[in-house]
Amino acid sequence: MPAASLHTSPLDRVHVELGAKMIEFGGWHMPLAYEAGTVAEHRACRTGAAVFDVSHLGTVELSGPGSGDRVQETLTNDLARIAPGRAQYSHLLDADGSVADDVIVWWLDVDRFHVMPNASNTDRVRAALGGEDVTASRAVLSVQGPDARRVLAEVSGPAAAVGHFGVSPFVWAGRDCVAAGTGYTGEDGVECAVPEAVAEELWAAVTAAGAVPAGLGARDTLRLEAGLPLFGHELGPGITPLQAGLGWVVAWEKPTFVGRDALWRERCDGPRRHLVGLRFDGRQPARQGDPVLSTGEVIGEVTSGNFSPMLGIGIALALVGTDAGVGEGDRISARVRGRELAATVVPTRFWPPPVARQPGQPPAPPAAPPEGPAEEVPQSPPAPPSGHRAR
Amino acid sequence: MDVPDDRRYSIDHEWVLATGDRVRVGITDYAQDALGDVVYVELPQVGLEVRAGESLGEVESTKSVSEIYAPIGGRVTAVNSELADAPERMNSSPYDQGWICELDVADQSSIHGLLDAAGYRELTEG
Repeated sequence: MPAASLHTSPLDRVHVELGAKMIEFGGWHMPLAYEAGTVAEHRACRTGAAVFDVSHLGTVELSGPGSGDRVQETLTNDLARIAPGRAQYSHLLDADGSVADDVIVWWLDVDRFHVMPNASNTDRVRAALGGEDVTASRAVLSVQGPDARRVLAEVSGPAAAVGHFGVSPFVWAGRDCVAAGTGYTGEDGVECAVPEAVAEELWAAVTAAGAVPAGLGARDTLRLEAGLPLFGHELGPGITPLQAGLGWVVAWEKPTFVGRDALWRERCDGPRRHLVGLRFDGRQPARQGDPVLSTGEVIGEVTSGNFSPMLGIGIALALVGTDAGVGEGDRISARVRGRELAATVVPTRFWPPPVARQPGQPPAPPAAPPEGPAEEVPQSPPAPPSGHRAR
Repeated sequence: MDVPDDRRYSIDHEWVLATGDRVRVGITDYAQDALGDVVYVELPQVGLEVRAGESLGEVESTKSVSEIYAPIGGRVTAVNSELADAPERMNSSPYDQGWICELDVADQSSIHGLLDAAGYRELTEG
């Protein structure tokens, strides 16, 4: 049983019945992994279809005249780039330009928005935007992977047909639901927000159609492989969107958004550090907080690191000083408990791997901007058995 | 959880199996389940002398890093080098293919200071 102070998902009972390892995360009692384990769940999402319970994400509803203006004047991205029926990744900044949260905005109708913050930031986002916290009224099921739409189509044709970054109402079991073509895995997929009363029924239908239950552990390894940032790691106090390589989230054409002045100064001066990918030579990754070194000097630190199930090696994201001048292909290292692990600097998106160029072909175009993550994953793992000290 | 009767256990969730004048060491089914998917094992060097409770290496899973403690003192005479490329054997076969190392134990009687299977079951189920 979860501690009484924890929020529980409408799917809590289902997870426990499936034998999931449950953890506390952002104030919620959520599945870390099911019996298949994180690596198998990760591969299922890369090769077939997986379903995640992401009900711990917040939903702040804004409705009525002026809702769009509030979103527009507060967050960094520009609603003029999209339209009702579309979703957009955006940032809420502090006055100093730090990322206070990263969110997905579901633009449901002209004067109606669902803004989805990270679980632990829901109050902060609601305070900045106004609106109503409707998190407790719904579950969110995220079906992801190359087969996600085929699997979901067996359950709901309309939900499966929502476009990439589209937002569309659908009816499931007689209830009003919302589908969005969003996710946090680097795969195509659909997120379904449904009233809590029908959440178990939808979960059962989606898994019966072939989606493999996947927990927050796989969500973290998937988002890291896809180079998607995580609040508390690549984003947070002291880290701006420009440092995180997410300048595309900032709409300079807008006259106002929270933090604009501070961020403009950074843009003029140039960010003092920036995010890079690290590909280790072996299976061992560095982890958050481990120092990054170039020619013996500490130039930054790891923000996230783990084993990449698809590449079979350790990978990490790190913030490094711009002055250090390191770039793709450079050999650097990370200091892990006194040992130095050799790594190569690579693009922050590790998966899919870059396509090898044929002689005579022009270089591949740059990768599309990352899709919008609006979530977080465990930062402090559950305590292993006594004697096995987690670090 | 599987707890074979043919060996002894430490409160740090390692097992010790006597094989003549040496012992084989690994982590328990309980430990591998709690760790989750093992993705990397830092094995000790052959020849390393350890006292009980000292570090024998590290196990890294998708969620954390944990130290392996020597359940009894001795000198490392062999390591399971198969774990370098297949650390998942610690999950799939913790008591057999997932063994970590062998120790030449100076004091064979020290093994009797460890828990027997019944005592370890009590520790993990109690």
